[in-house]
Amino acid sequence: PVLPEGWAGEKDFKSIGQLSQATDRNIEPIGPHFLAYARRKRHQRTFSEDDRI
Amino acid sequence: MSAQTDPAQRVAIGISFGNSYSSIAYTTGDGKSEVIANEDGDRQIPSALSYVEGEELHGGQAKSQFVRNAKNTAAYFRDFLGQQFESIDPSPCHQSAHPIQHGDGVAFGIRDTDEDKENTVTVGDVTTRHLKRLRSSASDYLGKDVNAAVITVPTNFSDAQKEALKKASTDAGIEVLQFINEPTAAVLSYDARPGAQTADKIVVVADLGGTRSDIAVVASRGGIYTILATLHDYEVSGFKLDQVLIDYFAKEFVKKHKSAGDPRENDRSLAKLKLECEAVKKALSIGTTANFSMESLVGGVDFTATINRTRYDLLGSKLFAAFTRLVTHAVEKAHLDPLDVSEIILAGGNSHTPKVASAVRSAFPDSTTILAPSTSSTAINPSELSVRGAAIQASLIQEFELEDIEQSTHPMVTVTPHLSTAVGVLCISGDESSGIFHPIIDAETSLPVRRTATIATPREGGDVLIKVAEGSRHIKVTKPESKPKSEKEEADDEDSDEDESDEEEELREKTWKVGKTLSEAAIRGVKKGGKVEVQINIGADLSINAIFREVGAKGGIRGIVQGHKTNGST
Repeated sequence: PVLPEGWAGEKDFKSIGQLSQATDRNIEPIGPHFLAYARRKRHQRTFSEDDRI
Repeated sequence: MSAQTDPAQRVAIGISFGNSYSSIAYTTGDGKSEVIANEDGDRQIPSALSYVEGEELHGGQAKSQFVRNAKNTAAYFRDFLGQQFESIDPSPCHQSAHPIQHGDGVAFGIRDTDEDKENTVTVGDVTTRHLKRLRSSASDYLGKDVNAAVITVPTNFSDAQKEALKKASTDAGIEVLQFINEPTAAVLSYDARPGAQTADKIVVVADLGGTRSDIAVVASRGGIYTILATLHDYEVSGFKLDQVLIDYFAKEFVKKHKSAGDPRENDRSLAKLKLECEAVKKALSIGTTANFSMESLVGGVDFTATINRTRYDLLGSKLFAAFTRLVTHAVEKAHLDPLDVSEIILAGGNSHTPKVASAVRSAFPDSTTILAPSTSSTAINPSELSVRGAAIQASLIQEFELEDIEQSTHPMVTVTPHLSTAVGVLCISGDESSGIFHPIIDAETSLPVRRTATIATPREGGDVLIKVAEGSRHIKVTKPESKPKSEKEEADDEDSDEDESDEEEELREKTWKVGKTLSEAAIRGVKKGGKVEVQINIGADLSINAIFREVGAKGGIRGIVQGHKTNGST
């Protein structure tokens, strides 16, 4: 979309709404991607920290 | 052998343990899963044990004892494990040893020694003996002592059943690293193929087994799987398909040999019929005609007959339709539409039947891929799906400490928030009503998540506004123009069936309804025809961290939308 006239935001970014409440579900403990996820969760790492290792 | 729990000494395989058949598989050095054949050359090993003069027969050899030694043959016992006697359905065991009550659980009364007396063998012990044979087949093949395994179980297997299976496995010298669900194992075996790319998609795993059918709707999100709905049915099964053939051939036999009697009324003849009919069914999955031939079927009369696939498809049509209904019900149970389903994985031995695949095919839109041997050249053998998944999982975790595996599979880890709506960007126009929603992260994606997408900008370039919004999927139903009605008036006496089918053909398509706007960002001075890369990170606390950057440009805009949990604390 084209930027409307007179649009302004702090550092060109405006936070407007929040995500709707999420639903808690059980993920299946299987596969390489889950194991990577479990490793991150147990060591409280983020994606980017994980990438660096 | 001395250090079975030492992960370094572990030799792990995947085991799929079914009521009718079991299989074993391992993963090669280069990460490919291979199904192991036992000494008889079977990859699908019948879950059966039989005793003749104290000698133990296993697999296919035991299965053929259904005819002459049915009482001392135990089969179809997987679902009896860890169950109360009152809660089991013994009907699959009519042609073999009948289950009897033993304390709280289930047992078989069989002559398993060369003495002439019946012993009570618990289902746990039968399972242990069966697993021992599987283990020794795998050990012989690999030349190494197999001492650990990942075992697949149905999604409705209770903790008591898992506990009983774990005990039986331990008694057989197999350390159970993990129990995994059959449907997700099937999805994994497809995703683990070399060259396969993990995508965000809804996959339905439809398993048509011997004694039961299980359907699971799985959200696959970047290789992480969440089961959205499951359905189990004990009426629609491969047994029923066998029965269709049994009835057909029995009637043919009676027609030709009126005096010999109905082979279904004699136990031994029925057992012969059943074995041969299962073989005929398998033959009809490969060829278009199959022969039935049995020496001395009943009353010393030999019987041969042929059947073609069209006839079989017709005879089984009710069951194929029922199976298709199960699949669509499961999709409904997950609150989804057939249009949401990207893939249907057909699993279980009966999925070899071409008609099963074509019946399911007809109930889903063309956009849905049906993965079965008859509809896809890249399909994996449906009988081997879950065991391959188990073998892959076994190779992934065999070096872990058992404690690590238990901690990782704990609900603390596995219960995660999932997005309730899709998140994406609005394209084309700044006006919400005319904007087109471009989903970047689908609903039911587990958090945290990171996705990147490239979107086009207006042709002329310049300053661009990017809106991140929630979107929900709607099914738009458009009835075709009322042409048929006018035709109806003109040709009143035409076949009315034709008109009805015309009216039913409504056009269904997926559309997106834009929900809440989450953030706006401006990117200034985009080149003509430039593209913008959007990266969205959503944390477990529902905070959004977004980065917008013109492709090829430096810098970019970064912004954070606070999540609920952070909000609540301040």
